[in-house]
Amino acid sequence: MKKLMLSASAAALAMGIAGTGAFAHDDEVTAWRLFVSDHAAPTVRVIDAVEGRELDNFSIKGPASLYRSESGETVFAVQGSAGAISAISSGIAFHDHGDHGDIEVEDAKLLDVELTGTKPAHFVERQGKVAQWFDGEDKARFFSEHDVLKGKPEPVTVSVVAPHHGVAVPYDNHVVVTIPNPEDASKRPIGARVMGHDGKQVGDDVACPGLHGSAGSGSLYALACSTGLLLISQTGDVPEIRHLAYSPSLPEGSSSALIGGKGLQYFIGNYGADRIVLIDPSQEESFRLVQLPTRRVHFVVDPVRANFAYVVTEDGQLHQVDVVKGEISKSLKLTQPYSMDGHWSDPRPRVAVAGDKIVVTDPLNSKLHLVNAESFEKSGEVAVEGKPFNLVAVGGSGKVHDDN
Amino acid sequence: MAPKSLIAVLAAAGLMLAPLPLAAAEKLKVIASFSIIGDMARRVGGERIDLRVLVGPNGDAHVYEPRPSDAMAMAAADVVLVNGLKLEGFLGRLIKASGAEAPVIELTRNASIIRDPEGGHYHHYEGRSVFHEAPFDPHAWQSLANAQVYVANIADAFCEADAAGCETYKSNAAAYREELAALDGDIRQAMAAIPEERRLAVVAHNAFRYFERDYGVRFLAPTGVSTDSEASAADVAGVLRDMREKRAVAVFTENIADSRLVARIAADAGLTLAGTLYSDALSGPDGPAPSYIDMMRHNLRTITRALAPD
Repeated sequence: MKKLMLSASAAALAMGIAGTGAFAHDDEVTAWRLFVSDHAAPTVRVIDAVEGRELDNFSIKGPASLYRSESGETVFAVQGSAGAISAISSGIAFHDHGDHGDIEVEDAKLLDVELTGTKPAHFVERQGKVAQWFDGEDKARFFSEHDVLKGKPEPVTVSVVAPHHGVAVPYDNHVVVTIPNPEDASKRPIGARVMGHDGKQVGDDVACPGLHGSAGSGSLYALACSTGLLLISQTGDVPEIRHLAYSPSLPEGSSSALIGGKGLQYFIGNYGADRIVLIDPSQEESFRLVQLPTRRVHFVVDPVRANFAYVVTEDGQLHQVDVVKGEISKSLKLTQPYSMDGHWSDPRPRVAVAGDKIVVTDPLNSKLHLVNAESFEKSGEVAVEGKPFNLVAVGGSGKVHDDN
Repeated sequence: MAPKSLIAVLAAAGLMLAPLPLAAAEKLKVIASFSIIGDMARRVGGERIDLRVLVGPNGDAHVYEPRPSDAMAMAAADVVLVNGLKLEGFLGRLIKASGAEAPVIELTRNASIIRDPEGGHYHHYEGRSVFHEAPFDPHAWQSLANAQVYVANIADAFCEADAAGCETYKSNAAAYREELAALDGDIRQAMAAIPEERRLAVVAHNAFRYFERDYGVRFLAPTGVSTDSEASAADVAGVLRDMREKRAVAVFTENIADSRLVARIAADAGLTLAGTLYSDALSGPDGPAPSYIDMMRHNLRTITRALAPD
């Protein structure tokens, strides 16, 4: 309880929901934190999403892309321009006891862990295993979240043949890595292969030219390319890769950015600048296009309301996409227009979902917009110094056992 | 304490509405959460139902990830049949995602339910201990007596949704329950013939507590009541110790669980794998357990063959 009271919002305490058969007093606690990086400054701010106040501000080496682990215990800050990856303990942890889950809340802290390398880029974490890709290196690095939290990551490296802009996906004793274009490694990868931690390839290469974009949804991991998706699954020792071709009924195009459903197993990809494609690999007709009013800026899935995903478009609107019906169900004007003309990495809004709030960064106006996820109406703003850009949300509800 | 009913939860949450009357020529649209329930529904509903099974043969309902197409089917369903007792961890979010209005029938209602005897745990806080009781064991279908309750619940649900077919449902259910009662007797007789000291085996996860309770064979397992958790080194060591002390006779793989761990346990204990039991799912049509009755008979054969004295 002492740990909890360090930083859990008092407003988040809801007393008196007793656990099944528990003899002492249990509290149901909800805590959500936003980790927000700046577009230009080397900083990560921690914001209490329940109360909207800043809890901490960590200095790192460069502007960062942020990634949270599945457990939510760790936030990774990949600083491409500074050649570094920092790790932050989110301060929120859950312990599953089958019939209930416990939540433990402490202060977030910047861990004494830093990986350095040439052009760190795609980051993938699944089941506590992390794959960090470096565009400027011929090896990808693999380590565990557990070791990071202990402050001692001990990366295993696996050859990716030549430096290229690819991605690696971690499994138990194997990894899936992209295959560089043999004629020009600066071009997009041409497929993927399974490698053992011992550096030996398992099975054959699987072709998927123009590969870019990856996401996980439950037990499936997908890599997008110009001919379709590579779907990676694991039922035994070794992950298996199969190719899912785009439907002939789709117009010409492909996906290069993917997100994966939580709660429902599906993927969403971009498909041209102003369309997205909903992908359900279990169906004979796996692909459904959704037209956007203007070009897409960013998209995320809702991990709580499993049938919804959210897309920000350059006209400043946030759209609620119903992935079951395959349509935009609601739209809300939130920000000034953020044109997709200009550099791909110009400051533009990003979206995250923190419990019952959808949070959208507005970097040119130094604020976060809060939208009630149930009503899809704007519910508030949080002022954030600088240009708030990338963000991730960590949190949830659980029991805390009190002895009072 | 009676198990908390999913129905009660859904009703309280306003997720259950009264079923709409069914048009005469229209089949009852039924969703079954996994293959065993699907087979029971098929036996009771026959030609009057249009059945969709979410977690198919050899699928694991503990860890199933529903698809958008499941939500679409759910939205159009007249009746949704589920096991309950937290077997289908995906159910709540699937119902919410689909906006389904069909009644969700928890088939373990009125069944004889047990708690996972190893599932309770303590929390220790500042010198005091808090005990949380174990969750309910959802694998109630491993008892033929419980299976008969499932069938009765299915018939009641179909009658409620399709009064015109009620006679058919009741008649089908009665015939099916007779078969299940006969099978129950067969299993009891076969197990009674196994010497008591040989009635100990190992499986991958705790799916056979009801079989143990009703038929007197004890099963050790490194993993708990859900395949969603992973066994620790201590869990495996504990199973190996119990196997030695209590002289386990056989190690079985399960059709829905990773066989690597039990294969290692069998090797460490100097035993060979004695076959595959169908715990939480049927086999495909060409396998040995395409129906619930086939499944229980296959398991009976596999267990008795392994445990019977040489």
